[in-house]
Amino acid sequence: MLSFLLAAVALAPANAPAALGADTFTLKAAHLRLYGNKVVDGGVVKVEQGKVTYAGDAKGAGELGPDIIVHEGWASAGLVAARTWSGLGGEGLEPKRPFTAEARAADVVALGHADFARARSEGITTMVVALSPANVASGITTVVKTDGATTLARDGHLQLGLSSQALRTNRFPTSYTAAIELIEAELAKPTGVWERVRGGKLSVYLDALSRDEIQRAVALASEHRLTGALLRAPLAGELAGEIKKAGLAVVVGPFGPGEEARVLASVTALGRERVPVAFGLESPNSPEALLRVSAAMCMRAGLDPVQAWEGLTTTAAAVAGVGARVGKLAVGCDADIVLWSGDPLQLTSKVEGVFIGGVQHESKGGAGHGGAH
Amino acid sequence: MAAATLVATGESKDQTSWTISAGRVYTATGKVIEEGRVTVEDGKIRSVSKGGGGDLECYAITPGLIDLSVRIERDLSSIEQSREITPEKRIADALDWFDEAWKREARSGVTSVMINPLERQVVGGLSVVVKTAGESAQKRTVKADSALYGAIGSAPSQSNHPAFGRPDDFYSRRPTTRMGVEWEWRKAFFDAAMAREDKNLAGPGTLELQKALAGDLPLCIQAWTTQDIRTAVFLKEELAREGLGKLRLVVDAAAEAWKEPELLVRSATAAILPPFSATGRSDDGSFFALDTAKVLAERGVTIALSGHGARAASERLCYQPGHAMRGGLAFDAALAAVTINPARIAGIDKRVGSLEAGKDADLVLWSGPPFEATSAVIGVLVDGRLVLDPRTQNK
Repeated sequence: MLSFLLAAVALAPANAPAALGADTFTLKAAHLRLYGNKVVDGGVVKVEQGKVTYAGDAKGAGELGPDIIVHEGWASAGLVAARTWSGLGGEGLEPKRPFTAEARAADVVALGHADFARARSEGITTMVVALSPANVASGITTVVKTDGATTLARDGHLQLGLSSQALRTNRFPTSYTAAIELIEAELAKPTGVWERVRGGKLSVYLDALSRDEIQRAVALASEHRLTGALLRAPLAGELAGEIKKAGLAVVVGPFGPGEEARVLASVTALGRERVPVAFGLESPNSPEALLRVSAAMCMRAGLDPVQAWEGLTTTAAAVAGVGARVGKLAVGCDADIVLWSGDPLQLTSKVEGVFIGGVQHESKGGAGHGGAH
Repeated sequence: MAAATLVATGESKDQTSWTISAGRVYTATGKVIEEGRVTVEDGKIRSVSKGGGGDLECYAITPGLIDLSVRIERDLSSIEQSREITPEKRIADALDWFDEAWKREARSGVTSVMINPLERQVVGGLSVVVKTAGESAQKRTVKADSALYGAIGSAPSQSNHPAFGRPDDFYSRRPTTRMGVEWEWRKAFFDAAMAREDKNLAGPGTLELQKALAGDLPLCIQAWTTQDIRTAVFLKEELAREGLGKLRLVVDAAAEAWKEPELLVRSATAAILPPFSATGRSDDGSFFALDTAKVLAERGVTIALSGHGARAASERLCYQPGHAMRGGLAFDAALAAVTINPARIAGIDKRVGSLEAGKDADLVLWSGPPFEATSAVIGVLVDGRLVLDPRTQNK
């Protein structure tokens, strides 16, 4: 670990001026984390017009082209946060109505918001902008990049709130029973967003906190064959078997130092059952750095490091519904690449460069030209 | 729904067949067997007879205790407050199967409980009777829709009055007085009766109210004070007089029933009593006399004791018979009040409530004479499964 750090400190600045702004280049990195546990030492990533055209060892790379960036540390795909409130400026809730299913995060999110630049500086290149869990049907999430411009999916998921936070004592519905009844009545509607959900064309984010709420959410998903993920669900691991059976993923976190051992053990249990686990944030309320810290906390509690990495990348991208474009370094994927001082799974590794769509936005000395700090 | 946890040790976790002997077997059928033995096979009682030995031994065996007034739900999130009358809502849909309270109840000898909607509602909805332990929600359910439950008294109206001004705008939740609560009850039943003729008058919950009117569904009303017990009984009598229905009334938390026991006698109303208190002062401004159970039992009122959702260990059901006996209730009546009586009130006496061949093997094992201060619950079986192992308890 220490040796990586030293190497990075000594050698990293060499690449700094190379390719700011270009979306066609070749990256040579001492270590490449392609996806999962697939790590290549002395690896090469070729990027043409913002897409990855090669990712692997130096031998198979062929001609490297004129524009070469050399990084003595690690490189990986950009991280994907499966949940955030970034860019909404607190506008992600319409509290007057419990059912605002047709409300869209995409309509209010500010792509140029400083929230996203902050996330980018932590190596996060894709985020699912979710809504407040304080409504029974909060609305539709959106999937964006942190480059200040790109929307990957206008409609991400229909977000449903099945926790007590979605219920109020002064507004209909006040009870779990009526909330579920109402969702089921909406699901029976022949048109609109509910029809897309019912047919599996739009997946759901089901927010639930306590285990009985998780149980109700899983029962709802099973009964109506909904696809998607549970949100938050701190003790989901204690119901891992049921969640697995329902085919749902779980978006967990953010976790920081001091997180309850039982909550972290729950994530390990999900991993053991092979329930897809993705990490999420509550930023801007939580620091963006917590995404990687969340994974580290879970690893320390026993989560398989490969699953932890996938939870930050491929699984999160799949949960976000954009797994074909982001989350791994592979041919045809967007060139969303992060340069790290060391292994990105280690807490002490730092971001030394971020490319989104092949365009450099962060470099070791600070934000790149796209930075909006 | 998922498994709820069993509390048992080691290998006997899945054992559902036992032979258990005791110095006294209290069957709650009126029969006490000295030096008796209960055999259990596949979770059911196979025989109750003379004899000793077996897998477990103890001082006394009683049937599992039954508490008809238990709160293991998600508080206000379990009731739909956007209306005052929600007869069709099931508390079963809002239960928390993971609550630690299940274990606490089971380990203190309570094997079946009726969960009722909170008294914030006038008509809260449908109660459910479940076992306190077992594999799944489905297997644990003894009786779905066991009663229609509601409240009379200050609970459904308190805090509905705005902090200032008059409660006559549409932002105020109704009702705001006892009279308003009573009006809601009468209107609900009257409308349901009228809807028999005119289907256009039917709405959500009409069916459940009609079932209660027909006597097919017990109506359980929480009423602490005499004033409120009267209201409940008068409601039943009025509906009968008008030819609208024949309620099977049960009064829950009938703390002041001792004041006018004749009300319950003449209307054949059963009573569930709340936990006894140190001073006699109880909820909703009521006074709960120590001899209430005795007074009612002697007049022939069917009574059941309850913990009324008490969270304090000292208020649990297993201690209530002792206090009732301190107030003069005979042991047999006290035993019945926590076993066969509640089973009959809830309509589950074919399965539980006494030790008889063929019934569920819900058993409580005692270290000494049941309900006495120096005796403890040292073993509990629910459907033949050991949830408290007497071999791990100090005798």
